[in-house]
Amino acid sequence: MPKNVHIKCPESIEGVKALADYKNIIKQLLFFNVPPKDETFILKERESEIKELQSEEEEQQPKKRREKGKIRKITNPCCDNNTGKEGNGGNGGEEDKQNQGAKSPTEVSKKLSDNLEYMKKIYSIPTNGDMVLREFDIVVKNEVIPAFMIFFDGMTDRKVINDNIMQPLMLLSNLDIKSDEQDVESFVKDHILPHCQLKVEKKYRSIIDEVNFGGCALFIDGVETSFVADVKGWEHRGVERPNTELVLRGPQEGFGELLRVNTALVRKTLKDEDLIVENISIGRRSKTPCSMLYIKDIANDDLVDEVRRRLKSIDVDYIYDSGQLEQMIEDCALVPAPQILATERPDRVATLLTDGKVAVMIHGNPFVLVMPATFPELLTSPEDTYVRFPYGNFLRIIRGIGIAFALLLPGIYVAVTNFHHEMIPTDLILAIAASREKVPFPSVVEILIMELAFELIREAGIRIPGPIGPTLGIVGALILGQAAVAANIVSPILIIVVAVTGIGSFAIPNFALGFAFRILRFGYIFLGAMAGFLGITTGLFLHGLWLVSAKSYGVPFMSPLAPKVRVGGYENLLARAPIWKQEVRPDYLNPKDTRRQPKISRGWVQKKEGEDGNGGKQD
Amino acid sequence: MRKLICIFLIVSILCGLLSGCYDRREVDELAYVLAIGLDKGKTNKLKITLQIAVPMAIGGGGEGGGDAEKASTIVTLESASMYAGLDLANNFVSKQLNLSHAKVLVVSKELAQEGGIEGFMMALPRGREIRPNMFIAVSRQSAEEYIRAVKPVLEVNPAKFYELNFRAYRYTGFTANTDLHDFYLKMKSLYSQPVAILAGVGRFDEGQEFDVKGSTFDEKNRSIPLEGDFVAGEITKSGGVKAEIMGLAVFDGAKMVGELDGEATMYYLMIQGDFNNSYMTMHDPLQKDKLVILNIKRSRNPKRDVKMINGKPVIDVKIRLEADIQVLQSGINYEMPQNLVILEKAYEDFIKEGMKRLLYLTSQEYNTDIFGFGERVKQQFITWGEWEKYGWLKKYKDSTFNVDVDLKIRRPGLTIRSSPIQYSNGEGAQ
Amino acid sequence: MAMAENKIKFGKWEASALIITLIITQLILGFPRLMVETAGTAGWIVVLYVTILALLAFFIIEKLYSSFKGKDLLDISERIGGSILRILVGIIFLAYFIFIISIVLRSFAENMKVITLQQSPISYVTMFFIIGMIAGAYAGIEALVRFCAIVMPIILAGLLLIFIAVSPHFNFENIFPILGTGPIDIFGKGFLRVSVFSAISLLFFITPFIKTHKSFRTVGYVSIGVSAAFFFVGTFAYLLVYPFPIGVEGFLPVYQLSRLVEYGRFFQRIESVFVLIWAASALIYLSSVFYFIVYVFKKTFKLEYYKPLILPFAILIFNISLIPPNLVTAVELESKYIRTYVWIISFVIPIVILVTAKYFKRGTNKEEKKNA
Repeated sequence: MPKNVHIKCPESIEGVKALADYKNIIKQLLFFNVPPKDETFILKERESEIKELQSEEEEQQPKKRREKGKIRKITNPCCDNNTGKEGNGGNGGEEDKQNQGAKSPTEVSKKLSDNLEYMKKIYSIPTNGDMVLREFDIVVKNEVIPAFMIFFDGMTDRKVINDNIMQPLMLLSNLDIKSDEQDVESFVKDHILPHCQLKVEKKYRSIIDEVNFGGCALFIDGVETSFVADVKGWEHRGVERPNTELVLRGPQEGFGELLRVNTALVRKTLKDEDLIVENISIGRRSKTPCSMLYIKDIANDDLVDEVRRRLKSIDVDYIYDSGQLEQMIEDCALVPAPQILATERPDRVATLLTDGKVAVMIHGNPFVLVMPATFPELLTSPEDTYVRFPYGNFLRIIRGIGIAFALLLPGIYVAVTNFHHEMIPTDLILAIAASREKVPFPSVVEILIMELAFELIREAGIRIPGPIGPTLGIVGALILGQAAVAANIVSPILIIVVAVTGIGSFAIPNFALGFAFRILRFGYIFLGAMAGFLGITTGLFLHGLWLVSAKSYGVPFMSPLAPKVRVGGYENLLARAPIWKQEVRPDYLNPKDTRRQPKISRGWVQKKEGEDGNGGKQD
Repeated sequence: MRKLICIFLIVSILCGLLSGCYDRREVDELAYVLAIGLDKGKTNKLKITLQIAVPMAIGGGGEGGGDAEKASTIVTLESASMYAGLDLANNFVSKQLNLSHAKVLVVSKELAQEGGIEGFMMALPRGREIRPNMFIAVSRQSAEEYIRAVKPVLEVNPAKFYELNFRAYRYTGFTANTDLHDFYLKMKSLYSQPVAILAGVGRFDEGQEFDVKGSTFDEKNRSIPLEGDFVAGEITKSGGVKAEIMGLAVFDGAKMVGELDGEATMYYLMIQGDFNNSYMTMHDPLQKDKLVILNIKRSRNPKRDVKMINGKPVIDVKIRLEADIQVLQSGINYEMPQNLVILEKAYEDFIKEGMKRLLYLTSQEYNTDIFGFGERVKQQFITWGEWEKYGWLKKYKDSTFNVDVDLKIRRPGLTIRSSPIQYSNGEGAQ
Repeated sequence: MAMAENKIKFGKWEASALIITLIITQLILGFPRLMVETAGTAGWIVVLYVTILALLAFFIIEKLYSSFKGKDLLDISERIGGSILRILVGIIFLAYFIFIISIVLRSFAENMKVITLQQSPISYVTMFFIIGMIAGAYAGIEALVRFCAIVMPIILAGLLLIFIAVSPHFNFENIFPILGTGPIDIFGKGFLRVSVFSAISLLFFITPFIKTHKSFRTVGYVSIGVSAAFFFVGTFAYLLVYPFPIGVEGFLPVYQLSRLVEYGRFFQRIESVFVLIWAASALIYLSSVFYFIVYVFKKTFKLEYYKPLILPFAILIFNISLIPPNLVTAVELESKYIRTYVWIISFVIPIVILVTAKYFKRGTNKEEKKNA
């Protein structure tokens, strides 16, 4: 008996604990919790009157913050300038590294052997196979000085190293150079090394960072600094056609994996000296180089500051992909749509930049993030503006229908066939009834099976090795559908519904938005099965509220639809006006320069002053 | 935000558990009634005939068309009311009966004359399933006979047969659009009375059996029946579908009081302003043994006016029509403007005579204002109370009518000048 | 939170969209029938008359309001009568909102049940509206007005489409006799029908969000004007299709109109699509009014948060809505009491408060200074 009690006791305690847990969960779910006082970013109006209204305090605060950030940037490149407690919390790893540095030397030593030893330790030479450490001698003023250089094989351009660094150091140093420079460091820098991108670094940390990113470090005995040459030269994909946003009319080049190439592609399209490319590196360990692009005299300063603030506050060890970065800097993870636009097209980035947006590029990724993004923008394709405006509008209408199908068609099918029989024309309802006669499942299950199968085919089609992919698509679409109908598992009309839904979802220009719709589609199926059109309307209401209350970098996600903005945005929103009518930039971005073009941008439609009727002809 | 989602999830799960989806009915779990027939019952108040679609025979499951014979099944049962009948029927029809695709309500003449559709009509606005655009027809035989005679030849689906057949008035003018909504409004209104399509089952199986006993040509002093001198079931035809529609059943409230033949129906449509176009045959005004056929169209809406003289209504009707010449058997040169006038005049008189016959028939014999002349009287009142007290429907029987028909022949068709057929004995020469 | 709420601001378009959607709901709930019941064939005259009355009342209110820019009714009543009057006014409006939302919730659910979900229990149908209400209140006024701004044109277009599509059934003789059941009915009984514009009273609570008096004025006139136009078109269409004595029979006029739409063999039976418009406007109406219930409660009792109030109030409203034993009682309650007397709350009380504030307590600017 006592044993029994003994055994029971902890169980009941655990039970109580578990109960308490549930209680907490229920409490959290059902009862009110005081909302955390989050700092929410609101893109402020550009108007001067509002700025005047702002109290001085408010104006000073952001300045302080920025200054703080600057100070820290020197000591700690990825600091969190949000609060004052970054030292102990998120940046523990960084401190550890620095502590290590305190024990071992942090700066380049005068003795070459120390440097050599340190480098060997850091890079685990000779375990590290692709690390090249080359020792050699150079001659300075008839003096033989030992030196070594270190770089990663494969990440550097060997020809450049041979021609521009090794050759001059080993051969040219023997030449008689007319100079009375005595200092070895400045002699080497000024006379011997002809390489153009050369940095003189003292700290091991920055030297290592450079080497990690395709640099070549040169250590010379008796010199307290190291020469770091930028000799990046790794293999990469060239500028190719973009894979996701294809257009028939318009430029066919897409971003590649190289940051500098990508920035160059944008600069090439957007020849403007006001285009700023700010470098920021993200990731404590990976130090992934990123660039933030904006046009200085168009983009709203607050917006630029906010993007910079968010980027700098990110504290992770590795980041590789713009998709990861997107998740780190988007406003709300739960909104069923991407709040940042990812694009592969330089022309699109350029267009959006001229609207006053900010773009973020990350090294090693062809997708560029543009923010803020609004819902209507996600539904447009760059081609809309490249073709003449009636065609562009036609494309948009077709796309709109496709999107509606992708989101609602299965749900509406279920709602109509289960609740609103009177809605279907008699001939059609009899056809549906006949085709469903031998199907054993209720139509909800039927449509779920088919949608699931469709999603499976889609996923498998992407993951499957190259040449089999299309085959699988055909097998899936034709044979599976045909066989399912023949086996009376689904009705033929349902195959049409699922197929149209699938095609509709491919018409969504933004892949990420397509994802959101594909998932929500299932919600609408359930709602349709629960209460017909009432369920679907409730779903649309909740979905709408959700989207409408979302914000992307202080810009309401549904603008310019709601809130309606006074000017701009409408010319190129649902229907597209002719290009010469698109005179102002979208107001919701509060750009510094609101006008794109004057009221009359096509000068030829107006007769010049002093010209008579024939004047036009003579021109 | 997160809480919002949590609550939404919880509630939707609750709903899902709660629901069991009360109203969910799969398409294939329902039986679709295409036609409802009401007769006087032998053992009970009503005999109900339901024509139920058989989807497998209509949809065919992709084998390219079904079998018209098997496209529907017809059940007949007797019960106290229509909904009671549906309940009863579900004991032997495996699927739940659904009226939302019912196209036509057929009532037998016998039942209609006794006002037997009153109960059904009163139930109409409450029932969500019954469509307001369902046709209403009165069968001269029993409704069951009529529905059983519907064996579409050109269509597989009987629903399509009804929809197309009952809309034929647009180009024949021999029936009218009498949907349930219209019928209901007129039945309850203070200024108009309803009509219903007259349906019937053809009497003849073969050509030898033909007779014209049922035709109305005798009453109109005609030597032969013209195309409008028939009512449903009396058309001299064989083959095809035995179910016919022609003419109208005239109602007083919910009671049927009389029938109109095809020609009268055409005039009814003209006075109502619903006339579209149709052919009209007449004896040649100059050569009585030959026929002329015009294709008549409505050119303007009719003008209708009611004046009260000595407390009795005097009703003016002005009809404006236009026509194309279709056939001139005599070969007389009616295309010439001076001859055209003769033809126009003859037609005007012909139509005027028929219209007067119809108007006095409704006012003196049937005593029911199916044309809605009351609408014009209503305008003369300021408030509803006065109008209600006036009691137009009682006063209609004392009406006198002035009919004015204006017919203009616009086009002679492809022929601009007729010439007679020449015979070797010189006949036909003018 | 209180700070954040004051930052919320929306434009004229959003505010008008909200008020129009709220008023238009009456059209869907049976306003045309009510008009026909009031004055028979002259129902359309009642609409015009009532519109003029509403515009007149709003004109007075708007003139009086000019000196209270950006203040809602509660602020003003606090200014003249301190906390006591504020709480009193708050409670009057709360009671009115709660009563009306419960009845409307019930009618919406009952109507939905009649139209499509006959077998489902009323609580199940109500659940959908309650979910919408709660979600709307959580999302807040900003999200609601934005949603309105998108959906309002769609709702209006849908209604207009029904009215146009049903035009083949129009019979213009139906408006005679021109004065219907008599001028006493039109101008006497009709006067009480000014209550259809009672949703305008919410405008007196969103003033802090729309800031300027100019936009207050525009929003008021525009929303009364637009909704009156739709009331007129709706009543007229209903009257032309369903003549007087029969028009009183059905209790969902717009639904009955949509049932008649028919173009050929294929384009018919569109009334289920109407359910979409109908449920959307129901959800907006319920969630907006519900938001204002918790908002007014919060403001009346100077609470810091409104979100904890949402669930208790939702449950309260759900329960109140289930009190009427049947649909007829609910419709009766609505038309006999609410639609007859609410004009006192939505027009008379604001006028009284504003007049007192303007002419009797002009000197005391203490509160104003405090607020500033």
